[in-house]
Amino acid sequence: METVNAVLRTAFSRLEAHALTLGTAATALVLVVVFYYPVATVFVDAVVVDGQVTIAPLVSVLTSRFYLVDIFGFTAYQALLSTIASVLLGLPGAWLLARFEFPGRETLRSLTILPFVMPSIMVAIGFVATFGQNGTLNAVLGALGLPTVDLLFTIEAIVIAHAFYNAPLVARVTTAAWESVDASAVETARSLGASPVRAFRDVVLPQLLPAIAIGATLTFVFTFASFPIVLALGGFQLATVEVFIYSRIQNLAYAEAAALAVVETAISLGLTYLYLRYEGRQRASGQGAQPQPRRSLWPESTSVRSLGTRIGIVAYALVVLAVFVGPIASMVLTSLTGPQGGLTLDHYLFLLERQQTGASYQVRPLPAIENSLLFGVGTLLVALPMGVVMAVLTTRQFRGRAIVDALSMAPLAVSGIVVGLGLLRGLVFGIEVFGTRVQVTGALAVVAAHAVGAYPFVTRNVAPLLGNLDPRLVESARSLGASRVRALVDIELPLVAAGVVAGAAFAFAISIGEFDSTVVLAEGSTSYTMPVAVERYLGRRLGPATAMGCVLLAVTSLSFVIIERFGGRYGGRGGF
Amino acid sequence: MKRRAFLRAAGAGGIAGLAGCAGGDGGTTETTTEGTTEDTSETSTGTATGTAGGEVPELVVATYGPFVDAPSSSPGASIKETFESEFDATLRYATPDSEINYFIERALRGVDIDADVYVGLNVDMLIRIDEQLDEGLFTPVNGLSRGGDVKESLSFDPKGRTIPYDTSYVSIVYNETLGDNGAYSAPETFDELLDPAYEGDLLAQNPTASATGKSFLLHTIKAKGADGYLDYWKQLQDNGVRILSDWSSSYTAYSNEEAPMVVSYSTDQVYAQRSGEDLAKHQIRFLNDQGYAYPEGMALFEGTDTPELARSFLDFMLRPDVQGEIAQRNVAFPATTTAELPASFSEYAQAPPEAVTFTYDALRDNVSEWTQAWERQFASK
Repeated sequence: METVNAVLRTAFSRLEAHALTLGTAATALVLVVVFYYPVATVFVDAVVVDGQVTIAPLVSVLTSRFYLVDIFGFTAYQALLSTIASVLLGLPGAWLLARFEFPGRETLRSLTILPFVMPSIMVAIGFVATFGQNGTLNAVLGALGLPTVDLLFTIEAIVIAHAFYNAPLVARVTTAAWESVDASAVETARSLGASPVRAFRDVVLPQLLPAIAIGATLTFVFTFASFPIVLALGGFQLATVEVFIYSRIQNLAYAEAAALAVVETAISLGLTYLYLRYEGRQRASGQGAQPQPRRSLWPESTSVRSLGTRIGIVAYALVVLAVFVGPIASMVLTSLTGPQGGLTLDHYLFLLERQQTGASYQVRPLPAIENSLLFGVGTLLVALPMGVVMAVLTTRQFRGRAIVDALSMAPLAVSGIVVGLGLLRGLVFGIEVFGTRVQVTGALAVVAAHAVGAYPFVTRNVAPLLGNLDPRLVESARSLGASRVRALVDIELPLVAAGVVAGAAFAFAISIGEFDSTVVLAEGSTSYTMPVAVERYLGRRLGPATAMGCVLLAVTSLSFVIIERFGGRYGGRGGF
Repeated sequence: MKRRAFLRAAGAGGIAGLAGCAGGDGGTTETTTEGTTEDTSETSTGTATGTAGGEVPELVVATYGPFVDAPSSSPGASIKETFESEFDATLRYATPDSEINYFIERALRGVDIDADVYVGLNVDMLIRIDEQLDEGLFTPVNGLSRGGDVKESLSFDPKGRTIPYDTSYVSIVYNETLGDNGAYSAPETFDELLDPAYEGDLLAQNPTASATGKSFLLHTIKAKGADGYLDYWKQLQDNGVRILSDWSSSYTAYSNEEAPMVVSYSTDQVYAQRSGEDLAKHQIRFLNDQGYAYPEGMALFEGTDTPELARSFLDFMLRPDVQGEIAQRNVAFPATTTAELPASFSEYAQAPPEAVTFTYDALRDNVSEWTQAWERQFASK
């Protein structure tokens, strides 16, 4: 018995010793199968035409004034504006969530994930209803006797919609970093005579900057490749490069589509690379975290300063009401509005009826809900280890680290339309191996594809915190005989729990909201999800699709609130 | 069908044994309870081949999603039901998200095509197929018993592969209530549309990615000529036309009364009447008294292994009762002269005084050039 135990123990410790290597290999394998290979099948069209290697498609894009100046130029411009707006709108939110205590704070923080899962068609519907000529905003402005605004079909509408999606991203990553700021460091600075402002600038801000920078970088990358929302709210006068990639792929002009997509990806990855080099230089040796105590939202004193703070918070709350609550509320209202404008539950009855009488070739709501939740959990389980492994790998110092790091971020930088086509070519059609066609479709493929899109969020939430840890912590654990994995699990991860949990929340949300890959991989099976159902129910009347959209929002909100309640029992902070 | 059924039976592997028991008596009936039902029926027919010999053939009909699964009404269910009750066959729908491109991609990459018929082809798709593939994706169809019933003017395939089954007309839909005293009236001609009185009044769609948007662009080319349409669009753009991504987003904006006119289909009132909307908000205008015809067709995949059954299906689709059914449920005009339709249909489905369209040849030679020139003039300006 003892020998068996000893053998097991040896085997286990061997496994443990190589766990990181194995994890890295598994991550690389998943990436190659469901990302790099599929995407390569599309990108190759940019350099191989009719079997001939050529640079003609790339040259024609790079020498076209229309593409370079009009399209890429405008795409970058609107992405820059959107990034600025998202950071401006996100930072006060992070400050509020990290530094104040108020009832419902945890729930509010959980709900900041919602924009992430909103299908863009729903956002478009919500925005038209909120910011249109006859929208809610103008109704409110009119009632207050203020001049109305004409926001639709302008670049402002696009920027606000992008902020709707991305300000919560900035807020979430910054909140996680803020909660990892060590209170004792701030106290030390204060006891040495630093003013609160000085202490913030010298102690807190340096630890927030990497998080703000990643939020901004991701926002730029996402809005650079934004597509449906741009044409729905802006119009073709404000077309971005992704509009052209979509149209070229639809018309099977693959060489041009691939060339555009390669340039788009190169720009996004180049920017990501610059960010990662910056992040690499930010490694300070922190001590892990003892979070700062939160202030009450209700003023304890009536000083001018504290009053000013509260007025600021109220103003911010009004903006949040217009930008976030407005569109979502409009969508809920649309789902409850009948053809003559009266209130009705007909659209929800439609969902029930479709569930009961829908044929096997139709999309039914309940399987969509079940699949979404199943894939969400599956994605979480796959993306977390992938993301953590990659974070550990990229916090090591080695030549070309930033390049490996940038490549690991590629799933965020490649056009969703291109990934969809690649998955069709690479996985759905499969490859011929010894006379048998090997295909990867259905639930497993969907989870793998979602995990690939989700794990960079885990990495980016964990890596900066991991890099901030004192390397001596790991060194002393290892000198006491702990394996690298044991040191990671027992020492490092608990210290960066806020980042891990923040990454997990993103992973789940990415999976719930994903559309481009799901619709390709679920074809012909019953693996469709809630966003696919929303798209299927979109018709001349908006009721059925918005009702399904509300179901999506309700299911997601409920999941996050439940997970947060349970999650709270563990880490206690850094909740969903 | 045998080869495919067998392959799938083999592929289904582990569950084949179980399925054989579960689906033993009624394996081919359509049930909707479980996601695995489809496998069950297929594996049981597959395993039955060798022993009982009473296999029911399967016809795979590929089409676009809304044809079988629209929130309003789709012809898919009734076609399947009627066809299966009259022919000893099972009809299975396949609705890939990328529609016909899915099958072109398969053919390009040498992957088997697991479908017998495609329903929902238009002339753009045909041109795309012919540009991409040297060998045909579809096989010409001759001698359908009801082939002669199809209106001559709707045929759009010079190679005789595609049989039209319905048509729509792209027109302006406008909202009468948005004018002074609730009397907004859309312009009657393309020239009047440039009148400053209609500034910012029209919503249309991206012609490179939307059927209505492309039809509208082609209609302006019909009206203004290949030499004049860009100039016309310059003025239209100056007059505040809005080009949105697709029909859906523009119709959403129209429904929210962002603008009094939208490019849409001339059958709009059929829907409006069904759901009890105010018809004044769904008025139809045919600019220059013309509507741009958008016929949809069906075709036989060259690799079909049930050509006879597939041909029976095409003939079935042209039958007077089925044509009436498709027209009402797909909300479009029938393709045959013999369709059975209730008189109330034509009350709300408006046909243009004159239908216009470009031929396959004219489009094949020009359409990319036309749309790309338009794009370069319109985008980011």
